[in-house]
This record gives sequence, C-alpha cells and structure tokens, in this order.
Amino acid sequence: MTFAHPWMLLGALAALIPLLIHLFDRRRPRPHPFGAISFVLRSQRRTASRLRLKRLLLYLLRTTILIALPVALARPELKRNAQAATVTRGPAATSIILDASLSMRYADGGTTLFERGRQLARDALRDLLPDEPANLLICGPGAIAPSAPSFDRGQIRSNIDSARPTFGSSDMNRCLDLAGHSLEENPMPGKRLVLISALTANAFRLNIAPPTLQGPKGERIRPEVVVRDAAGGKQWLPNRAVVDLKIEPALQLGPRAFQFTFTVRNFSPEPVRDLEASLKLGGQVVAKGFLDIPANGASQKTLSYRFSSGGVFPGEVAISADNLTADDRRPFVVAVPKELRALIVNGEPSTVRYRDEAFFVEAALSAPGSPVRATTKDAEAAFHDSFDQYELILLLNASAPTPEVSRRLVEFVNRGGGLLISLGDHVEPDLYNQRLVEILPMPLRMVKTAVDPEEADTEKKAAKLGKIATEHPIFSLFTGRAREGLMSARFYKYMLLEPGPGGSAAHNTEVLATFEDGAPAVAVTRRGQGRVLLYTSTVDRDWSDFPIRTGFLPSMQRFSAFLSGSLEEREEVKARVGDSISLLSPAHETIASVRAPSGAMLPLRPQEDGHVSAGPAEEPGVHQVQDSSGRPLPELTFAAVLDPSESDLTRIKPEELAAFFGEDAVKDSGLEGTHRRLPFWSWLIAAAAVAFFFEGVLLRK
Amino acid sequence: MELLNAQTLAKLAGVKLRARAVVDGVLSGLHKSPHQGQSVEFAEHKEYAPGDEIRHLDWKAFGKFDKYYIKRFEHETNLHAILVLDGSASMGYQSAALSKLDVAKVLAGALAYLLVRQQDAAGLAVVTGERFQDLPARAAAGHLRIVLDELEGVGAHGTTDLFRAADHLAEKISRRSLVAVFSDLFDDRPEALKRIIHLRARKNDLAVFHIIDPAELSFPFDDPTLFLSMEDERRIEVNPREIKQSYLEEFNSFLKSVRATCAEADVDYELVRTDESLDAVLLRFLARRQERRR
Repeated sequence: MTFAHPWMLLGALAALIPLLIHLFDRRRPRPHPFGAISFVLRSQRRTASRLRLKRLLLYLLRTTILIALPVALARPELKRNAQAATVTRGPAATSIILDASLSMRYADGGTTLFERGRQLARDALRDLLPDEPANLLICGPGAIAPSAPSFDRGQIRSNIDSARPTFGSSDMNRCLDLAGHSLEENPMPGKRLVLISALTANAFRLNIAPPTLQGPKGERIRPEVVVRDAAGGKQWLPNRAVVDLKIEPALQLGPRAFQFTFTVRNFSPEPVRDLEASLKLGGQVVAKGFLDIPANGASQKTLSYRFSSGGVFPGEVAISADNLTADDRRPFVVAVPKELRALIVNGEPSTVRYRDEAFFVEAALSAPGSPVRATTKDAEAAFHDSFDQYELILLLNASAPTPEVSRRLVEFVNRGGGLLISLGDHVEPDLYNQRLVEILPMPLRMVKTAVDPEEADTEKKAAKLGKIATEHPIFSLFTGRAREGLMSARFYKYMLLEPGPGGSAAHNTEVLATFEDGAPAVAVTRRGQGRVLLYTSTVDRDWSDFPIRTGFLPSMQRFSAFLSGSLEEREEVKARVGDSISLLSPAHETIASVRAPSGAMLPLRPQEDGHVSAGPAEEPGVHQVQDSSGRPLPELTFAAVLDPSESDLTRIKPEELAAFFGEDAVKDSGLEGTHRRLPFWSWLIAAAAVAFFFEGVLLRK
Repeated sequence: MELLNAQTLAKLAGVKLRARAVVDGVLSGLHKSPHQGQSVEFAEHKEYAPGDEIRHLDWKAFGKFDKYYIKRFEHETNLHAILVLDGSASMGYQSAALSKLDVAKVLAGALAYLLVRQQDAAGLAVVTGERFQDLPARAAAGHLRIVLDELEGVGAHGTTDLFRAADHLAEKISRRSLVAVFSDLFDDRPEALKRIIHLRARKNDLAVFHIIDPAELSFPFDDPTLFLSMEDERRIEVNPREIKQSYLEEFNSFLKSVRATCAEADVDYELVRTDESLDAVLLRFLARRQERRR
C-alpha cells in the first residue's frame, strides 16, 4: 500500500477524540428530583447491556469514520496482480536499466538474479510499442551513460545477452540519472525508465531527489518509472558473508605463526549453526573450524597457522557456500618474515653476563617470535668470519675494523646486507669515519657526556630522547602510551655526529630519533641494496639505561627487521573491488602488469610520484604483479576484497520505493505480470459512509 | 392556593353524587341503606339489648310476647366518604402548573364540598410516610371548613406507604364508606395496591384517583440527567434519550397493571394528569359513577 499524501495520515489521530472525550469528559449531569425514579432504575437495568453494546458499536463506528476519512484523504492505493499490458501510458522513449551489482549474482531457483534480470530486460524490450525508442544501461560500478534511445532492438538485445554481473556495488540513483539524461534529447513527450534490479536497500539513496530530466521546454519532468523485481518479490535474500579479516602474528605459537581472525555476518532472520569455516593456503585447507551466527548478527572465528618459511603467501578464508558464493571467501596476502641470520660483533665481551656488551641485544633478538637467529662473536673472531652467511651484522661497541674488514663490510651492505652500528668507549670516531665512510649514515664527531652515571641527580641531568619519527616503520609502534617506552630512557653519553652526511649516497640518510639537544640518536641510510642503522649510544648500560627500558626489545627487533628488509618494508596493500590500487615499484624494478585472478590484466597508469595506479580491480582475489621481464614481484602481490556492504541483501520496501519515485510516476511490475493499482481510498470513503449511516441508525434506536 | 375556585363549583353544581348501591346514609331518595334506622318502612325486630334506644321499643310486641323488641326500618341514609390523600414526597413532583399533591388536594376538597353540600359525610385521611392523620367523616357544613383547612396544611414528605394506609383505613372505617384514594401509587411493593383494594371486600365503595405528572408520562428529558429519588437516597445518572423507550414501556405497563387491578376489583379508577382540567376530571368521575348506578 502506498500513500499519495502521507501527511494526511496525521488526521487519523482524530480517531482518539471519542476515546479522549470518554476519558476526560467531566461534564456534570443536571440533577433532577424525580418521583418515578423506580421506573428509571428499572429501565436502566433492563437496557444496560444493550446500551453498553450500543455504545461500543457507536464508538467503533465513529472511530472507523475518523480513521477512514483521513486515510482516504491520504490517497492510499493497493497493488494487485493482473495480466495487464506493461505499458499503459502511451508511447515513451524508454531506458532499460539492468542492475549488474554483486547482489544480482545471487542464486535463486536454479538460476541467478542476473539471468532473471536479463530475461526481464528482454521482456521489457519485447513489450515496447513499435514507435518507442529504447536504450540499455548496465548498472554496475563505474556505469557510463548509454547512447541516445534508438530503434535498433537487435543491438540492445545483443547488449543484454553480453552483459555480465560485476562484483561491485551499483549506485542506482546515479544510473537512473544517467538513463534519464539519455532520454532528454529524444523528442517524444513520454519518458520511461525500466528499472530491473534485486532491489536491495543499499543500492538506493532515498534521501535525495528522485530522477528528473529536462523536458522539451527546459522544465524538469519526472519520467514514468517501471520497477521490475529480479528477486520476484521475495521478502528476504538470506546471505552469509566474510566481511572482515585481521591477520596478526601469533607469537605464542612460535616464529612465523599467524592468526587469522575473520568476521562472518549473517544477513538473514534465521540463525546459522555449525557453519564450516576454513583457512586455505595455496588451494589447500590448512585449518578448519565451525561457528554459530545469530540471526542478523555476526560472529568471529580465529584460525592459526605456522608457516615453515618466510615469504609472501596468498590465501583465503572461506565459509560454506550459500546462494551468493562470491562473498563466502575473503582473499589475503600475508608476508611471513624470513629467518634472519645475524652476526653480533661483541666489542666488549665480559664474563659477567649483564656487563657483556651483547647481553641485552641477544636477549632482545632471541625473544619468542623473533625471526632472528643470532651468532655472537668477539670482534676478532667475527671479522675473520665470512659475512656471506649472514643477512645482518651488528657492530656493538666494536673497535674500528681493519681496512680489509671494512671493505668486506661495505661489500656486504652493498649486496643487500643490513648493518647496525652501536657505539661505546671502544669506538674511535676518526677510524670509523675513515674506514667506514662509505656506509656510515653520518660521520662520527665526538662523545658527549650528559652526566657521569656515578654522580647524584643523574636522572635529572641525563639526556632524553627528543623527537622520534613515529611515521617511520621502525618507530611506528611507539605511539600513544608505547611512546613512554622510549621517552623514559636516560642517556649519560652519546656520540655526536657531523651535521653533514658522509659517503656518496648521503641523500638516503634519515635521522629517525634525536636527543633533546637535537643530536641524532638513530640515523639510517641505504647503501647499495643494503641498509645501515647507526645508534649513537651503547646497547649495554655503560652510556644509557635504555637496555632496561620497555622500548629496547621492540626497538632492537624492529631495527633488525628494517635492516634485513624482510618485515616492515612490505606495506600491506588494501584494495577493494572497484577501487584503483596505487603500487610503488621497488628499486630497480618496473611494474609491467597486474594480473587479476581470472587472468585479466588491470589497466596501469603511471603517476608523477613514481607510483603506478592499477585498476580499478573488478574481481575479488589475489592479484599478481609482474615486472617487465615477467618476473613476479611478490612483495607487491595484493588481494582485492569485496565491499562488505554489498553482501547485505536486505530488500528495500516497495512502498519506500514508490514513495521515492512518486505515486503517480512509478509503475510496479512483478515477474508474473503487471501490478494494477487499485484506488483503495474509495473503499475507505465507502466504509466511512456506511459507518456514518449505521451510526445514525444506532442513534435513532 | 385556592382549593375550590368558583368555576369548579359552578360546573359541579348540577351533578348529584350518588353512592353505589349499598352504603350507609341518611339522605333519603339518593342512597339505599342496608342498615336500620329512622324510616317509614319497617324491616324487622331485634331483641332488646342494653344500650338500644328506648324510643325504638315496640310496645305492641311487648304486649304480645312479653319481651322487649326493638323495631328496625329501611330508610334513606347519608353517604359516608373517606378521602384518602397520599402525602408522600413523590407527590410533590411538579413539572406543570400544579404538583401532584396540589391536584390531589383540589380534587379531595372538591369532593368534600360536593359531599357536604348534599348532606353526605366527608372525612379525611392523610398518609405521609409512616404518619396517618385522619378527620372523621361528618356531614356538618362547618366540617367542610375543617377538612379544607386540613388539606391546606398537607405537605409532601416521606415515602409512599399504601400498605400502612390500607391497614389504618381498615381499622378506622367502622361502617360502609366511600373511600376515595388520591395517590400516584408509587409504592414499589406490588401488593400495596391490592391491600387498598381489599377495603372493597369489606363492602366499602372504593375510588382511585391516580394522579400522574405529564413528565412522568412522557419522560421529556434530553440531556444527561442525574435523577434523584424524592423519597430516599437513590440516584442514577442516565442519558434519558437512551432509556426513554424502555421507561415508557415500564410506566405504561404500570398504568395498565393498576387499571386492570382496579377493574378486576370493581374499583372506580380515574387517571388524572396534573395539567388537565380538574373540573373535567370530577365531572368524568361523577358521570361514570352515575352511569354505573343505573
């Protein structure tokens, strides 16, 4: 039922008047001494039950009148199926809008809503009068305006046949506007939009103006709208969907273990029990579980898996298939850190463990979940070792290496190795500057003593960190309360650095942390394919109490991961179907192609900032990125996921749709035939008249 | 209020009230009496008993039978009438010019006047709730003034108790009398009227003037009304339009019942509306009695 003037329904409040009069009428009857009161009493007793019934009937009749009249004035109309012709308003230029959103992939009765929609579109085309031109708009993500209406029915039919549903959402309002504008140029006075859709609520924005188009004289006119329901009038399209996925390292399960926490929503009025959920890697189910979901609710499930090696792994979490299978899985790409072999060059070994230079670093790097496998050696032994077997070398308060060792270190870094240099009393600035000039982020100058640790008030006089580049992956953890883990550290001594960078590729140097006086505390640089991090204080407690602060352990792990390029360097690419994805080419590499799961290539558009824009992605799943030689670039592999809102197939109410398009503009038709609208208000008027008549009869009795 | 106006008296002047067949009285020619007294027509002898009038001794019979006999005669006698006035509070109801009690007083006064004027005796009994006041019936012209004065002083009080009134009358009336009852008969006890009519069984002549206010007959109320009882604490709030039909049925049934009961007991019944001409009521009553007598 729809209403032409719904505000008139407010008049139905008048139905409360009889009740209010009954409740609040406190008129005092006129007292009258009467001799024959016995007869009045007997009469009243005799008629009491009849009077009660009469009053009740009167109340009902009056209420009926007071409700029926305003409701009738609101002009309600009922819809009734009838095998009537589709078009009843005379010839009109017609635009057929076929919904191609994800919801149309819903399977129903052995076919999909899209297939049914296509048939409806063919029917609509067939039902057109010979003198009615038409066009077709496939309404999916990025729908474009159709050409002007024509009489080439064969072409339109061909376009209908070749149309495919998308994985994205449809903006029906935009499609209606596009279709409406395409009809403006046509000289026919009649304009008609035939909308074929699953009629899901999220496809429509009912809070904006309905589609209008410009008439021949420049006036705004409302086109006739024929709505055809591809879902055949179903009240519900039950659906379950994986709407969210969170991937986190599961440190408690060991290195390279991850937990996959995903959210499954149940868009239906029935609860779901024992729904199977699985984690798939490389097409194989590696973990499985079950979950219950309440009606119209959501549940979370966590599945864990420990990877045997590092690398980039595509996979998906999936639930048992339902009528809309596309949203029953959610693809992902997880980067598992590789095992890092690290050589710790201990510049100040000690038999007392906690005074050993490497004590705190070893502890930090061997914590559970750390991918680092460290080997600690004193400087002499370490420098005689082969650096090729390590990805990471940590020079901890080591004396300046010999020129030969220094050369090998430079080669190590240039080949892609990571080098961490921490300072201390054994470091000779001049020799370091001389021998390691090519890889030092900044030249060393001299040791600054903020306070003697033996003095009183060391807490107050000691230096503290000043600025920290929390936007950098190394320190991105240290925001909010975690920042205190760094800021609480006290530094008694630290090495001042020369302001100018050294080496040939000095422009790569970044100072990520400084002391309060502005002196660098952490500086990083890229040399060749490797990275160097310089920490200007000690990693034992000689110059600082930082090793016993909570920020030390994560800092060391992040330092190591950064230097090895295996953890933070891969920024997760978040991509949704319908979006374009911005990819940054790795050094010395060129992005040549992005391949969708179906094998289709995404269009690429180089950007001025060096990024490459790929897409828009049209299908969910893992997208492979390749360089010009066809070699995969696994660090750029990404997974495009569906918009979770598109999984909500809650149907829009027909009366809302009718109210949106306007009572006099919309024509509604189902699969079985056209709905004929019946002026229900006339029945109400008749009912009010009958009630009025019987009220009069009752009053006379 | 003037009980007997000149117009009423002029209209009643030519009408002779005739009592029914068997009543005591002394006016000859009008009323045949079954009782013995001073008359020309001998009836029987009765053995003397102490207290009998010595002058009625039949000396001839004494001579024959050596016993004292009293001579008894048939002769004309006066009508002995008791006017019974219902003075209950419901009689005070008034929607027209006169209340029911006013009408009752006028009618009773007029009858008293007529009775006294033709040498009949008229008595008065006023029933007001539990109180019962009476004036003995006398034919003296001076008695009329007393009756009228007594009527003048009657006010509407208390409940309608025809039951008690009947008992009192049965006790007071020692000879055949015309008992004229002026009442609205609003006694809830169904046997009350029968108790009154029972006086008829004792050879009394009985006439019922049923006095009804026109509002009680037609129930002309429209607005919601709180009806208050005039005799007790009863009250009821009703919409008169809703119950009018039922009320009229109840009331007409009551009237019909009263009329039927009176007819069955051969009691003169006169329905009197307080808005109608009272002389017409009296003439109608007297004419009917005269008709019955023939």
